[in-house]
Amino acid sequence: MKCMGNSISRRGFLHAGMVGGIGLTLADYLRLQEVQAAETGRQPNGPAKSIIYIFLQGGIAQQESWDPKPHAPEEYRGAFGSIGTALAGIRFNELMPHSAKIADKLCVCRSMSHGDADHDRSTYIMFTGYKPTPAIQHPSFGSVVAHEYGPQNQLPPYITIPNQLDDSGGPGYLSSAFNSFSLGANPSAKNFRVRDLELPGGVDQPRFARRRRLLDAVNDHFRALEESDALEAVDSFYQRAYAMISSEKAREAFDLSKEDPKLREEYGLNEAGARFLLARRLVEAGVPFVTTLYGAWDHHTEIVPGVKKLVPNFDQAFAALIRDLDQRGLLESTLVCASTEFGRTPKINTTAGRDHWGKVFSIAMAGGGIQSGIVHGASDAIAAEPAADMLSVEDWATTMYHCLGIDAHKSLMAPGGRPIEIIRGGKVRRQLLV
Amino acid sequence: MNHRLDNANLHILPSAWRWALAVVLTGVLASAGDARGETNRGGPADNAHRIASLVIYPGEIHLTHAGAQQPLVVQATREDGVTLDVTDRVELHVENGQLAHLANATLFADQDGDTRLVARLAGRVAHAAVRIRDTHQPRDLSFRNDVIPVLSKVGCSSGACHGASRGKDGFNLSLLGYDPAGDHFRLTREISGRRINLALPRESLLLEKATGNVPHTGGRLLASGDPHYRMLEAWLREGAPNDAETAAQVDSIKLYPPAAVLEGAGSRQRLRVLATYSDGTRRDVTTLTRFETSNEFAAELDAELDEGAVVRAKGHGEAFLTAHFDVHSVGMRVLTLPADLEFAWPEVPEHNFIDTHVFNKLKKLRIAPSELASDAVFLRRVMLDLCGRLPTADEHRSFVADESSTKRAALIDELLESPEFHDLWVMKWSELLQMRTGPKITKKALMRYYNWLRDQIEGDVPVDRMVYELVAASGGTFAHAPTNFYQSEPEIAKTAENTAQLFLGIRLQCAQCHNHVFDRWTMDDYYGYAAFFARVGRKPGEDPRETVIFNRPAGEMKHPVDKRKMPPRFLGGELADIGEEDRRVVLARWMTAAENPYFARHMANLVWAHFFGQGIVEPVDDVRVSNPPVNPELLDALAARFVEHDFRLKELVRDICNSRTYQLSALPNETNATDEHNFARAKLRRLPAAVMLDVINQVTETTSKFKDVEEGGRAVEIPDGATTNYFLVTFGRSARETVCTCETRREPNLSQALHLINGATVHHKIRQGKVVRRMLEDNKSPAEVAEALYVRCLGRAPTERERTAIDDELAAAEKPREVLHDVFWALLNSQEFLFNH
Repeated sequence: MKCMGNSISRRGFLHAGMVGGIGLTLADYLRLQEVQAAETGRQPNGPAKSIIYIFLQGGIAQQESWDPKPHAPEEYRGAFGSIGTALAGIRFNELMPHSAKIADKLCVCRSMSHGDADHDRSTYIMFTGYKPTPAIQHPSFGSVVAHEYGPQNQLPPYITIPNQLDDSGGPGYLSSAFNSFSLGANPSAKNFRVRDLELPGGVDQPRFARRRRLLDAVNDHFRALEESDALEAVDSFYQRAYAMISSEKAREAFDLSKEDPKLREEYGLNEAGARFLLARRLVEAGVPFVTTLYGAWDHHTEIVPGVKKLVPNFDQAFAALIRDLDQRGLLESTLVCASTEFGRTPKINTTAGRDHWGKVFSIAMAGGGIQSGIVHGASDAIAAEPAADMLSVEDWATTMYHCLGIDAHKSLMAPGGRPIEIIRGGKVRRQLLV
Repeated sequence: MNHRLDNANLHILPSAWRWALAVVLTGVLASAGDARGETNRGGPADNAHRIASLVIYPGEIHLTHAGAQQPLVVQATREDGVTLDVTDRVELHVENGQLAHLANATLFADQDGDTRLVARLAGRVAHAAVRIRDTHQPRDLSFRNDVIPVLSKVGCSSGACHGASRGKDGFNLSLLGYDPAGDHFRLTREISGRRINLALPRESLLLEKATGNVPHTGGRLLASGDPHYRMLEAWLREGAPNDAETAAQVDSIKLYPPAAVLEGAGSRQRLRVLATYSDGTRRDVTTLTRFETSNEFAAELDAELDEGAVVRAKGHGEAFLTAHFDVHSVGMRVLTLPADLEFAWPEVPEHNFIDTHVFNKLKKLRIAPSELASDAVFLRRVMLDLCGRLPTADEHRSFVADESSTKRAALIDELLESPEFHDLWVMKWSELLQMRTGPKITKKALMRYYNWLRDQIEGDVPVDRMVYELVAASGGTFAHAPTNFYQSEPEIAKTAENTAQLFLGIRLQCAQCHNHVFDRWTMDDYYGYAAFFARVGRKPGEDPRETVIFNRPAGEMKHPVDKRKMPPRFLGGELADIGEEDRRVVLARWMTAAENPYFARHMANLVWAHFFGQGIVEPVDDVRVSNPPVNPELLDALAARFVEHDFRLKELVRDICNSRTYQLSALPNETNATDEHNFARAKLRRLPAAVMLDVINQVTETTSKFKDVEEGGRAVEIPDGATTNYFLVTFGRSARETVCTCETRREPNLSQALHLINGATVHHKIRQGKVVRRMLEDNKSPAEVAEALYVRCLGRAPTERERTAIDDELAAAEKPREVLHDVFWALLNSQEFLFNH
């Protein structure tokens, strides 16, 4: 797909307005305006100012997390028991004691359904709200938010921890300006640094200033000769990079060592803990959309050890994140969503695992205008089908956008002047809202 | 003041007044000091002087039922190419007035017979043949040809409404009517036929919803009594019949006039669309046609007018209009020129046929090409484009000093034979062919495939030959490497889509599920084409890592709507005569034939796009009616030339690089500053990821390590798309996972900027390569080193201002080497370095 948004600058904009640049189309022009609008941030105007989108890649089993089936026969129930939660009559898998304690802060949806069972397709659905089609690539939730709200406090509006998933997490038909910024490094690593954010060894701020002066001299010469929108696009990213590099506050948003070691331990000194804590720091610094990935949950074989390895860390970090946000007074303005590709088959398979299952699965949300202390919908006795209040991806996504003050029925402009709704056919589910 | 409007209004004034006003007008123009006053049509005498031709559309008028009528368009063309819609000004009459009469520029049938329509304007005469039949017979109403078009036109069956795959609010129509039988069923039978009321047609839910009389999410689409409403009502009154099997189908549509050159904002040209049906009848379907303009800034459409459709000029530029009716789409080109344009074509030499076609278009647009690029700029550009490297300081010096008038051509010849040229084109093709290891392609198979491709490019094997080998390939993936083409994609339908996009530039994807909305492709086309791949068989070879591709004796493609078995049919062409052959062999022969309407054009366009950063059709692999070539004559000529060269890549590249068009400067002039599409100046192109990494290595005298590439080798030589590194990913190298050329990305992003500013690639390589240190050890002064770095990276010496900036920094610092490293850093981060220009 040709990306036009990027290659058009303020100068191009003036041309469009004044003389109607030859070959510049109305669609180009509208996209250009959008890119420019996105250069200056706008405060989200819903109850949620930010979203932390936790994505459990590979598909977490609903049975081994939010929706245990203690009364089902063992081949459906699986090896684990269940525990009571802060909500009367509601049980989570026994591996989730921390989340159980804060269940009164959560909205657990046990009736999510999209029906797909392919990794790539389901990931796409859960990142964009659309089923994939060969004709067009849809923007991810984060890119739409970046498009609507732009950068805040010198920080990118959409950040992925640690690296963006190729097709699904991207800007789709929107300009690449709305792509996520990937850390390019793992926050749980010992010497974690955001890739290329720090000046290299031996280059201090004065020397960096010298480099910039020398670079300005070269660029000034070239730009006096060659006017091009492509150059301005490159330049705008250099300006953003400079702003981040030289803003102490922006860089500190990525610095986990600024956190109290006790709190770090509460989150867990592991991948889940470090990533979720970093997500909180970024949200606190004003980033409107943070995606964080955790774990490889595709447990076709030996689900017992697989889940034992991942669920406890996730549980601890997730509960710590909700508590931490709550204590800082950020939970009201931060929507946290623990999402996944799909659920897993009702029955344990012959290799002691569970396979892909898109007919019903669970997600959990908290904060940001979402009702707390509720379980929405239910799956049937063996977690095979939605039994009550099926929640479609479209409704769920529309509701999340609503919390951020974005009307998901609004259309965005795809190339060729093709308007496409942010989410097609979704409804705001009032029961999920405060 | 808008002269056109004044002039257009003249005809309604009494003739004496007309003359008088014309004189006044001309006087005003002259006194305003407008030197081109006389090019504005002042009056009939002036018109007589300027109008070169006059044409009536349609040129053949068939009226074949009672009450038949044909609205007319009469277009005049001035000597300077500007066209005028003179329909209202022209003098029209029917030679045999008994047969037909005229009113409001519309011809009405009265009696059977043949006659001629005559138009006269300013001494020019135009004729149209008129054939009138069956004036006693009213036309039969057809569900497919009358009802479905109304539902499409008013939007009922659009993708946003009931044409969505799952319909809307419980009512589903096929997208823009691709399934008339299904639509008839859903309208008349579904929910027990409650959508229609044959007793009281006006109370049918269909009409009540469309008029908004009962609540309708889609709002009010029709007013009772308007022509579309009356059509639906008439159909209901007749009992909502379905068509007989033999009902006529639309064979083709035509859009009139075929082109327009409009002068002055606000000038108009009316449009008509004529459909020809399989029973030979014709019908004006303008009011049922959906129109689109590619560029609202240049030309806007007003299709809601009672008179049909009108295009109106806005800003200076070009627009392509598309008309969609039934499954057909046709287009026309509209150029829009400002009324007060001062333009003189600079007499620049044409190097070859490419320049002729590019300049012809620019003349029409009143755009002047930029100057020829300097030797240094040309050298850098052509080396990057042909070899993916920068000229060395020595090459730079000797080329600039060379006084031969043929040195550019000689350089092109030399570079075309260099191994680096082969590397670049092998990379290009391996991206298109998705060369990467994966579940189906083992390392060994991939290397065979890659080496086969290398042999093709190095041997300058004709591209038609190469593509034939790929499409028709049978045998083991080790023994016969091109068979690996069938290993990148296991699905039949997807393989068909891939070949169409790769080799013909056609995206068929949409037509898998519905008739293409913006193009001619129907589901029949899709499944007929996919049938060529229905018999691709795969079986294990002797070596377990090898697969054998073979032609299965059976296997069919079925149409998903009605389960018809689809015989193989060439895209947009005939049913294939397969005989005893492998279907793919027959396809490969058709595809790579010189007369194939897509192949040579698409291949030539792919090559063109490499050198200009955009295709003549852009995106290159999205050829469709509504995405026409910016310069069709150029594309035709390029394709013809490619065929003439027996599809040899190097010859085509030689033509392109030797053209003045390729050698133009990127520096804009006043007339071409806002033009991005017509090749009036060189376009700045960011270096592709692999080339960028290679040239950073080149100038810092360092290397990167890549799997399967010899020590010191280049990123462009990586055989496997799965081999990559942070730099290549961040700068958008194609992962070779799809056939789409869009997989190679050149848009900037934040990570790229951070990486060049702070990352290891620039900062470390500068130190690691020790270039500055060696130069200083050679007793060069810091200023000399700085200059050498400039030449090395940018192919030029520093300017006075840059020199001063460097001197100032050197004077203020203690360690000159550090300053020079920073100069080097600045050069590698500079836009002049990152772009080919």
